[in-house]
Amino acid sequence: MQYKLHNHNHNHNQTYKGLIIEPKIRDFFIGRIWIRTNAPFPQEKIETYIKYNYFKRILGISSKRGFFKKHYTCNRCYNENQSEFIHYECARCNQLCTYCRHCINMGRVTSCTDLLIWNGAKPKFPTYHILDWDGTFTEAQAQASQQLTDSIQQNHNHLIHAVCGAGKTEILFPAVLAALQQGKRVCLATPRTDVVLELFPRFQKVFPNTILHAYYGNAPQQQGLPQLIIATTHQLYRFENAFDVVIVDEADAFPYTFDKALQKAVFKVKKQSAPLALVTATPSPQILAKVKREKWGYSFIPKRYHGHPLPVPTFESLWSYNKMIAKGKIPSKLIQWTKMRIAQKEPFLIFFPTIQLMGIATPLFQQLHEDILSVHAEDVDRKEKVTKLRNEEIPGLLTTTILERGITIKNVQVAVVGAESKIFTSSALIQISGRVGRNVNYPAGEIVFYHHGITTEMDEARNEILRLNKEGFGK
Amino acid sequence: MKRNEVPNCLLCNAPLNEQMTWKYLLTNAFPRTICSECEQKFEPYHTTQNQEVTSLYKYNDAMRDFLHRYKFMHDTLLAKVFRDKIHEHLAKSKAIITPIPMHPIKLKERTFAHVDQLLKEANIPYQHFLEKTTTETQVGKSRQQRLATEQFFKLKASPENIKNKDFLLIDDIYTTGITINHAKNVLLEAGAKSVKAFTLIRG
Ligand SMILES: [Zn+2]
Ligand SMILES: [Zn+2]
Repeated sequence: MQYKLHNHNHNHNQTYKGLIIEPKIRDFFIGRIWIRTNAPFPQEKIETYIKYNYFKRILGISSKRGFFKKHYTCNRCYNENQSEFIHYECARCNQLCTYCRHCINMGRVTSCTDLLIWNGAKPKFPTYHILDWDGTFTEAQAQASQQLTDSIQQNHNHLIHAVCGAGKTEILFPAVLAALQQGKRVCLATPRTDVVLELFPRFQKVFPNTILHAYYGNAPQQQGLPQLIIATTHQLYRFENAFDVVIVDEADAFPYTFDKALQKAVFKVKKQSAPLALVTATPSPQILAKVKREKWGYSFIPKRYHGHPLPVPTFESLWSYNKMIAKGKIPSKLIQWTKMRIAQKEPFLIFFPTIQLMGIATPLFQQLHEDILSVHAEDVDRKEKVTKLRNEEIPGLLTTTILERGITIKNVQVAVVGAESKIFTSSALIQISGRVGRNVNYPAGEIVFYHHGITTEMDEARNEILRLNKEGFGK
Repeated sequence: MKRNEVPNCLLCNAPLNEQMTWKYLLTNAFPRTICSECEQKFEPYHTTQNQEVTSLYKYNDAMRDFLHRYKFMHDTLLAKVFRDKIHEHLAKSKAIITPIPMHPIKLKERTFAHVDQLLKEANIPYQHFLEKTTTETQVGKSRQQRLATEQFFKLKASPENIKNKDFLLIDDIYTTGITINHAKNVLLEAGAKSVKAFTLIRG
């Protein structure tokens, strides 16, 4: 299907009758900011569209004269951290050229890169959507969901602070539905690809009438103009002024805390007055301060959806575990713990602070049970291994912090080795503890922090869990 | 050379916390650009005595990732990563250092000559004597096809500059040897006394 557009474009004053706009091209570019040479369409076509003013063209990097030296800004990711700008002799523009290292994973942007923004007519989004979900809310969920919907309707920012296992995703459904039914375009962003892959089919299922796309590194190209987008926060760099509602899930997730760069990305992808909602189990003090100062809407759910308290971590010393493992021995406490899980047929996760240590430990654990596997961030079989654990095909998984959030395994038991390590911040430890006891039939479970000395981060994590249980149960 | 030129590892972004040691103050060593954890992932390649091509590293996962980021994602800055090792190997070379050239169209696309850039960062002077005459790459061709490829370099300088001189060809990676052989033949036919080669990676 092709449309003829007659001067729908108010930015140019000549009338071009007869340029046939391909919906495929228009739909791809609406709301996006894209490197011209990376467009998945023939360059001659792009050329013609530019000629007829269907694109606004901007330079990749701008610079202004500062007090001592030039100050650079990346026009795609809005990065202004000067140490991330690299200058070199460019053979394309034949001069000293600058590129942004901050967003280089999305294709490099240089001073001589053309960025394209759609400048033609934008079609209206449909308003007929249905929510095909027959679950029920707890009282706390229902309240939070209503508060979120109200905030979004009033273009108000909102924070949902909900413990791990509170059923956060379902809380979003009514608010997203209300926005879609007003013809609004909605973006749900999260720092991790795994979470995108988990959320996408769930939203697809409950919004059967809605065009939705999932964007993450190496995602397949998808057809149509999506009204609902589920994307990694990284992918936000590729959008601009695009959404009427932006929701960021797990806003605090390592390694992209709700830092300056991400804040900029979030603010540039939403339309100016569009509301932003953050959903997290572990809001940073900075986020809480912002919420208070700017009078955001706020919902707090201290209880899990099944009504049972959060499992509280126990601390166990594991002195010099590093040296022992390096010598080819698992400390005996850890052997006992693992053997117990295997004997009781309870699936388990053991978290390690580094890939290196985990690499040495893996064959040692395989002496306890040959089917024990390990996963890390670059593991291509990550999904399959988690599925194997979920299906009880393997007794347990050794993992880096990559599995700290987003995954749900019935009756899983968790140990953290080297809980004193820097990488285990209090929020990471809370998330890891939150893997345990999520299923209504197995609401309790083991969460042990094995350590070589207790850190304040460990104390903070434990105290926060105790505090949440107190809030939720008044004990 | 500025000392705190690179505060974080260029590959994993971990802070480098470079210690100011006497070694740095007394020698002209390059400051580090990657952390020791990343460094360990690269496997040195040991060139045997009778090989005409010297290489520094094996082609492993870490190197594949490096090459992808440098050559295909165009992170030009990564030319600094191996500068000290490259400098160490080439600084005392008596032969004339000449990089394998890129085709001008390819060069415009990539925006930098990746082999030249490695040498620039390592402070190694070089001269171009060859020109690439085809935009075709060797990637994706079978060995048969590669062997059958016609000569794809031609001489850029007058033969007087070549005659009776020793040359060292530089490339990023050595796999089948066809690129190096083509270049070598052009120089030998023009009267070069000897042509050896050096690559960062051995495929
Ligand atoms: Zn950028
Ligand atoms: Zn340039």
